[in-house]
Amino acid sequence: MQQDYPLSGIRVVEHAAGVAGAWAGRLLAAMGAEVIMIEPPSLSALRREGPMLPDGSSALFAYVAAGKRSVVCDLASTEGRGALAELLDDALILIDDTPLAERGALGLDQARIADDHPDLVHLSVLPFGAAGPKAGWKATEINLIHAGGEGYLLPNGLSADLFPERPPLKIAGHFAEMQGGVAAALSALAALWSGQGQYVDASVQDANVAVGAFALQRHGDGSVEHRHTRSFRYGGVIECRDGHVELLTLEERQWQGLVRLLGSPDWASDAALADPAERSARGTELNRAIRDWARGQEVEALVARAQELGVPMARYNTPEQVIAGAHETARGIFQPVRQSLGTAMMIQTAPFRFGPDAPRIARAAPEPGTDQELVTACQPARRVIA
Amino acid sequence: MKPLSGIRIADFTVHAAGPFCTHMLSQLGAECIKIESAQRPDIFRKPHAVYGRAGPASFDQVASNKLSVRLNLKHPQGIALARRIAALSDVAAESFRAGVMSRLGLGYDALRAARPDIVMVSISSSGQSGPDSHFAGYAPLFGAWGGLGYLTGYGDGPPVEMRHVMDHSVGMNAALATVAALHQRRRTGRGCHVDVAAREVASSIAGDALAAASAGVRLKRMGNADPQRSPHGVFATREADRWLSLSVSDDREWAALAEVMGRPGLAHDPRYARADARLAARDAVEALVAGWSAQVEAEEAARKLQAAGVAAHVSWRAADIADDPHMQARRAVVDVTEGDGRRRKAVGFPAIFSHGDAPAIERGTPGLGEHEDYVYGELLGLGQAERARLVDDRVIY
Repeated sequence: MQQDYPLSGIRVVEHAAGVAGAWAGRLLAAMGAEVIMIEPPSLSALRREGPMLPDGSSALFAYVAAGKRSVVCDLASTEGRGALAELLDDALILIDDTPLAERGALGLDQARIADDHPDLVHLSVLPFGAAGPKAGWKATEINLIHAGGEGYLLPNGLSADLFPERPPLKIAGHFAEMQGGVAAALSALAALWSGQGQYVDASVQDANVAVGAFALQRHGDGSVEHRHTRSFRYGGVIECRDGHVELLTLEERQWQGLVRLLGSPDWASDAALADPAERSARGTELNRAIRDWARGQEVEALVARAQELGVPMARYNTPEQVIAGAHETARGIFQPVRQSLGTAMMIQTAPFRFGPDAPRIARAAPEPGTDQELVTACQPARRVIA
Repeated sequence: MKPLSGIRIADFTVHAAGPFCTHMLSQLGAECIKIESAQRPDIFRKPHAVYGRAGPASFDQVASNKLSVRLNLKHPQGIALARRIAALSDVAAESFRAGVMSRLGLGYDALRAARPDIVMVSISSSGQSGPDSHFAGYAPLFGAWGGLGYLTGYGDGPPVEMRHVMDHSVGMNAALATVAALHQRRRTGRGCHVDVAAREVASSIAGDALAAASAGVRLKRMGNADPQRSPHGVFATREADRWLSLSVSDDREWAALAEVMGRPGLAHDPRYARADARLAARDAVEALVAGWSAQVEAEEAARKLQAAGVAAHVSWRAADIADDPHMQARRAVVDVTEGDGRRRKAVGFPAIFSHGDAPAIERGTPGLGEHEDYVYGELLGLGQAERARLVDDRVIY
């Protein structure tokens, strides 16, 4: 990589079949680390996860493997474990999400890695962590958003009003697993900072309990939430003529801006509404008026006027609107990348930046074994290509 | 020693996302000096009626461990003191709207003049640049801007608003970027200005969908469905409002589920035996599961399914998390004692380190200005008379 990034010069070896581990690696790659995926002969399971592209390949893989390298090795073989050792000799971090019971056979158990590579940060990323009574439990995204407590609280607001009898709802995509990935990457870099090679046991469930911390605090002080009642007292998801907006006013001046946005209707001039507690108590009535009014509004003009008046409001952007957004374009958060099968797409490079410019992705998600020359074992003639 | 022992943070953040960032770093061992003013305390120290709740929303959790000083950033001498704190810090974190720190005289250039290798972390709704950089926003707006809100929801329903998990996800990402920037400083001697836009964290979480959309794939809200898995969803059990999440990834797991359901023949039923057939018959498959789940006790069913190798977990409430032996064994849930002796449960750090001292919450919520003897006295070397004058002049205020 020509440009200097925060993690330039750091090699990471990633052996991950799930989104959490892969996302940890992806974030490190976005910050300049050289991340080498070790794929089994059956190839990364993420290559088969949706959403799928018209060319039959995985958009998820294209996104989470962008910027990485690929080596295909069978860690169940002596040769494969030799290749792993070669890669780890030059690495500072190993990311592994292999279920605990399978690690020994692949040479990935904690003790062996610590003995052979004492300076390495060995990052374990598992749904429920590597220690504790549930360490052996398995989970996919939907189990994890519920194990962390947020699933039970969703949806709230308009969806909960419309469909109170339906089951709780997950966040789209891989929210919970990605929280695990971010927390895992943070933990690995903190361990690396300490200068002490060690084993770091990250849990996706723990990461979700952490980002859902309010729930535990509310449990302690007796103000437990439920999806049917945790809606904002007024505001929230508001339907307009041509789409939906989100509206949330927390501060007094924002409420006053909202009244002006609404055209200072008679009902809003009620002196009692100057008291936030009164507004909260009469939230249903306020929201009825806001929703009735908004149905005649057009999203784009409404949002622009709201922000002018200091009223926090945003359009519910479709994916296409995010990609083509003027703000996103000005900040250059997406990078055009051509996949190996020829499909052109826009990839968000990173969720943060280290100066005025967004980080760049060094390469598209690799074909299997593209970087096989990084190891002397597992020669190309012997590897299996899909 | 904890992993980040020796790192000091001048913490100007308020609200949710920023304080969560420094909360993570403080659990990892960084010394975090929270800078507030009595005139304008962190807005999360006070209640917000829109949440329908009398007390502050989350302050106790994210303020734990932090040192608190009062400082009036509207007073020129307050700015001078802020720069002196920054000069003794490795990191300066803030979460005002873009441009506010510069207007205060605390922008990146000013802080770099005070401390040439400082890592400044700015957390905002839309970032430090771009046409929307002045926009105000909270978690539901981040999700709306970033596409995550649009994609979340029942197939026949509206978008869904993201809540505090979105804020805290922004904070977790910011903490990660901060530690990465410290690594760069260690290697090069240079600090940098980390810019975290909350809406970009939201879009990063939907990044696979955005990538697919950019290649022409039209994506819709799909509720609890999964593109590859059936059955996959959240199922009612015989207990009221007690739900079982369940996900079958392959034919072997389907056979295991069929066994647990007491209907082993379903494993060989040509209508359901293979993954593609189950996806095509998703409604029928999930009706079979729902018929079974309505008769079972949720936790017992989850245990049986896990024992059989099927991914399952009860939709947990806060009480489940608070009392869970697994979470407690991992110290993912801990007890914190406040200064007044009151004990409360708090969320611990989401990973276990094999070496060094464990990340932890050592202290509860600081009172406003509780640590001024240490910060103004010991660190800055201000004498009692000088501090008294600064208090009288409403600089330390």
